[in-house]
Amino acid sequence: MKTILMTMAATLLAGTAFAQSITVGAANISDYLDPGRDHSNVGSQFYYNSFDTLIDRDHSKLEPEWVPALATEWKLLDDTTMELKLREGVKFHNGEDMTADDVIFSLNRMYQATFAPYLVRSKDRLSNFAEAVKVDNYTVQIKVERPEPLWETLVSLQQVMIIPEDYTKALSGDPEVAEDGDFEAFSLAPVGTGPYAISEFVPGQKLIYSRFDGFWGEQAPLEQATVIRIPETASRITALKTGEADIVTNIAPDQLDLINADPNLKTEGSATALFHVMIMNVNHPNLTDPKLRQALSLAIDRDLLNDALWLGKAVVPSSHTMEEMGELHMPELTTFEYDPEQARKLLAESSYDGEEIVFDAYPVYYTNGVLAAQAITEMWAEVGIKGRVNVSEQWTGSSPEMMTRSWSNPMYFADPFGSFGVMWAPDAASEGAGRFNTDEEYREIWDRFRFSADLEDRKAAYVELMDRIKQDPPVLPLYRPFESWGMHQGINWKPQPGHIPYVLDFRAGAISLADS
Amino acid sequence: MTLYVLRTLAKMALTLLTIITLVFFAARLSGSPLDTFLGDGLTEEDRALMIEYFGLERSVWHQYIAYLRGILDGNFGLSFMERRPVAEIVAERIGPSLQLLGSAIALTLAVSVPLGVVAALWRDSWVGSAVMALAFTGYAVPNFVIATFMVLIFAFVLNWLPVVGNGTALHFIMPTIAMSGVLIAALTRFTRNAMLDVLGQDFMRTARAKGLPETVVILKHGLRNAGVTVLSVLGLQIAGMAAAGNVVIEAIFSWPGIGELLVSAAIIRDYPVLQFGVIAVAFAVVTINALTDIAYVIADPRIRMAKG
Amino acid sequence: MTATTHIPSRVGVFGSFWRDANAVQKAAALIGVTLVLMAVLAQAIAPYDPLQQSLISRLRPPQGFERHKPGFLLGTDELGRDVLSRSLFGLQLTLGLALAGACLGLLIGGTLGLLAGLRRGWAEDVTMAAVDLQIAVPFTLLALLILALFGTSLTVMVCVLGIAGWEQYARIVRAEVRKITELPFIEAARASGGGQRYVALTHVLPNIVSPLVVQFTLSFSNIVILESTLSFLGLGVQPPTATLGTMVGYGRDYMPTAPWLVIAPAALIVLITFSVQILGDWLRDRADVRLRVR
Repeated sequence: MKTILMTMAATLLAGTAFAQSITVGAANISDYLDPGRDHSNVGSQFYYNSFDTLIDRDHSKLEPEWVPALATEWKLLDDTTMELKLREGVKFHNGEDMTADDVIFSLNRMYQATFAPYLVRSKDRLSNFAEAVKVDNYTVQIKVERPEPLWETLVSLQQVMIIPEDYTKALSGDPEVAEDGDFEAFSLAPVGTGPYAISEFVPGQKLIYSRFDGFWGEQAPLEQATVIRIPETASRITALKTGEADIVTNIAPDQLDLINADPNLKTEGSATALFHVMIMNVNHPNLTDPKLRQALSLAIDRDLLNDALWLGKAVVPSSHTMEEMGELHMPELTTFEYDPEQARKLLAESSYDGEEIVFDAYPVYYTNGVLAAQAITEMWAEVGIKGRVNVSEQWTGSSPEMMTRSWSNPMYFADPFGSFGVMWAPDAASEGAGRFNTDEEYREIWDRFRFSADLEDRKAAYVELMDRIKQDPPVLPLYRPFESWGMHQGINWKPQPGHIPYVLDFRAGAISLADS
Repeated sequence: MTLYVLRTLAKMALTLLTIITLVFFAARLSGSPLDTFLGDGLTEEDRALMIEYFGLERSVWHQYIAYLRGILDGNFGLSFMERRPVAEIVAERIGPSLQLLGSAIALTLAVSVPLGVVAALWRDSWVGSAVMALAFTGYAVPNFVIATFMVLIFAFVLNWLPVVGNGTALHFIMPTIAMSGVLIAALTRFTRNAMLDVLGQDFMRTARAKGLPETVVILKHGLRNAGVTVLSVLGLQIAGMAAAGNVVIEAIFSWPGIGELLVSAAIIRDYPVLQFGVIAVAFAVVTINALTDIAYVIADPRIRMAKG
Repeated sequence: MTATTHIPSRVGVFGSFWRDANAVQKAAALIGVTLVLMAVLAQAIAPYDPLQQSLISRLRPPQGFERHKPGFLLGTDELGRDVLSRSLFGLQLTLGLALAGACLGLLIGGTLGLLAGLRRGWAEDVTMAAVDLQIAVPFTLLALLILALFGTSLTVMVCVLGIAGWEQYARIVRAEVRKITELPFIEAARASGGGQRYVALTHVLPNIVSPLVVQFTLSFSNIVILESTLSFLGLGVQPPTATLGTMVGYGRDYMPTAPWLVIAPAALIVLITFSVQILGDWLRDRADVRLRVR
């Protein structure tokens, strides 16, 4: 019985075992694919296989080591201008040649955004970038407003990956003009220059990468990679077992033993460059007292959460800092800690009078999110704070009624600006949502941090920022979650330290299949 | 007869309009649909831009009229999440759902009609009791429980059957069984009762008296008459239960159908999708009901007379 | 499960009920009573607080298995809570919600059906149109919509469960009322000057009690299944509170490694629906009520 069924299954599911093709079972698949407008944890999985930036980095290394990609060389002409020589002979997946026109089109759609979704990304990380100008067919200049300490970093962002101009403009309406409709259409039929073309895309359901023979660099190792959506954890693991998937994403630590116990399977994982955080609405009438918020934060035993929910594999930070930030990694700061005694003391001194503190959590979006929320309210109870978990898909982070909730602060690029900054800079996401306030002093410190040319000045300013956060806390980073992927033994793949979180890198050197 | 058909159709249209209206206003009553979509790192300004993008700044009445007008043009609006026409998204999903529904109904009929007949004929022996006990069990075990345990046993432990999507014939086995469980239980009971009703009727006695073999009596006269009842049950109950089953089963087996779509739309509050989904399914059910009504009347002249 | 024939159309006394029952029906009755007792006494018999977490002893198997935690008979869940205690409280909440929902449905449907039956005219037209509407939309979808729109709280859940079955009551009551009001003795009562309300209270209500009891029992198990399904899909009550359906839904992620999270609540759901189904069918046979599909 079993043999017959398995033979049938093998025949029917043909392809996966023989050719250089794999199937990935992902917890989520994007509803659209446009590297410019997207910065979600779901989307970041998919862009690197199909799109290139002008400058890339060696993703096998933690420290940034810039390498040529669509630009072969680059230099600063002055404080505010970078000139880049473009690689010649690069083709888009649709056969068009990539020239300076495509590059300035791609960059300016972000730098001078008019399409609402681009505008958002442009404001939170690219606001210093004024425009891109064509010098000749293979030379462009990028101009910034103020001297930029993070040139290469911000030129190698996912958001400024290069897309074809003519193709995009012709997608809807007037083929000579870039309209909103063009960008909407592009996000359903994306075209780039990367080693894999996206040969099929069913929003939210399925994505097929096919090797692009015209790729400018080393050929893709896989003929084809199909990504299918399997939202349920149990189903993903089962699909891995039945052979329906060769790699599955988002495996919680609780499930690792189960996969590793099977001799045909293995897991790879890492503490992802992202913090699961608890945010506190500093403007909620019940939470205006900083002492109460300090108590809420000090009451949480993050090491216990790590040991219990993550089997000790997550990383609990002492400050809003990550090792990816190189010189700006400052583990010596103690911005956040566990001290229930101090929490009780501050609570007694605070305005707190037994009010219920609601903790909002997404049901499944963050691994262990609901469990952590329930454990946190228990820890609050230990010091005398009455907490209640509210599980909902609703994003309450912009609501004045929100008290506390779970969120994440991903590293969008390897600089404190790319994780702390995008969320907590003046007028950035948190202040814009009305749950965090900045004053003149904070702005001045931020400005020094953002634009100082001297690294030491930036570090000093960041210390001051962290001190402000400690005194009047709007956020507590809980941990860097340990994210795992389950896969068959014959697949050599693991997350690379030089990537932003969740990237499924199937380029040459990043994945190989054992001959079996 | 024509009058009856026309009246059925008019009633159908009215029902649909009412459903559309209720669903639309209920959706607008419950606050801004955008809250869910302004996730990580969006600001109030972005919210304003999005509101304009989806035309949500207009009055509810404007939106309602625009929505109705859109429906007449076959335009059901844009999905908040995917930002493409809802009808397009639903169109992609309807095929897999119908395939699953079809296979579930086929399995249900194949299993429950014979079982029901057996249970009726041997109503006083252990065979009848055993069949009915089975039917009760089928009715009592929720389909998500059946599905969960089947996945554990046949996929996880034994590795016999695939669990994701609708790629091959093997993919149909578990979802079809899980979805049919409750349907088989229900239809077996209905068939049994309908057969019992029919078995006591005069024309059965007449048929027997005429010396027809028992099998012929049962199959030709009994089943054919009981079939009318079974048909009406199939149209009404089954459509409802199957739609309900679809929602859970598709979610469990990552089946790319309407049910799975609607559950995720409900969870992320993608109202345009949910609205259209409810309307589309209501349309299907109303149509099936109307057709069953008409078929019922054709099959049984007595009702035609009673209904006028 | 064969029906006993020729029994009076009124629900009899319990004693005769029990005597006439077969083994399966007796077993179902015992199970039902046990479940209700367990639910009612949850506070007294649960060994632990169902919300008490113990992060250091998560996912411990039931008594008798390796790594079990003494005192935790059915093991612990993903936050180290006692599965037995949670199941008991889950049972309480599931039964409570279903009872509240079924009562609400009975109240709405019964009232509308009574109005439609007694008043006729537009009241009847509107009610029957609403019934048709309710039938046109598969209820799970409607429930999805309502829960998506109004969020998940106990109140919303009870309302959802309440409107899940009202149309059945409305149809039964209306049909019975029409049948009864055409009987000679009601005509006589009316002729002798009894008002609408008088007629309704003295003659109609007593006569529709038994079909309603039967319908109530039958719909109860449907409501339990509906609630469990919605909770399973994550649209039910909020954690840390759990119904049986929620426990199955959340436990499913741990199915291969910790099946005890799912087995206890799933078994309880099946026991409820199974016993209620059999009791309902038994009542129906006893009351000799023909509950027609249409």
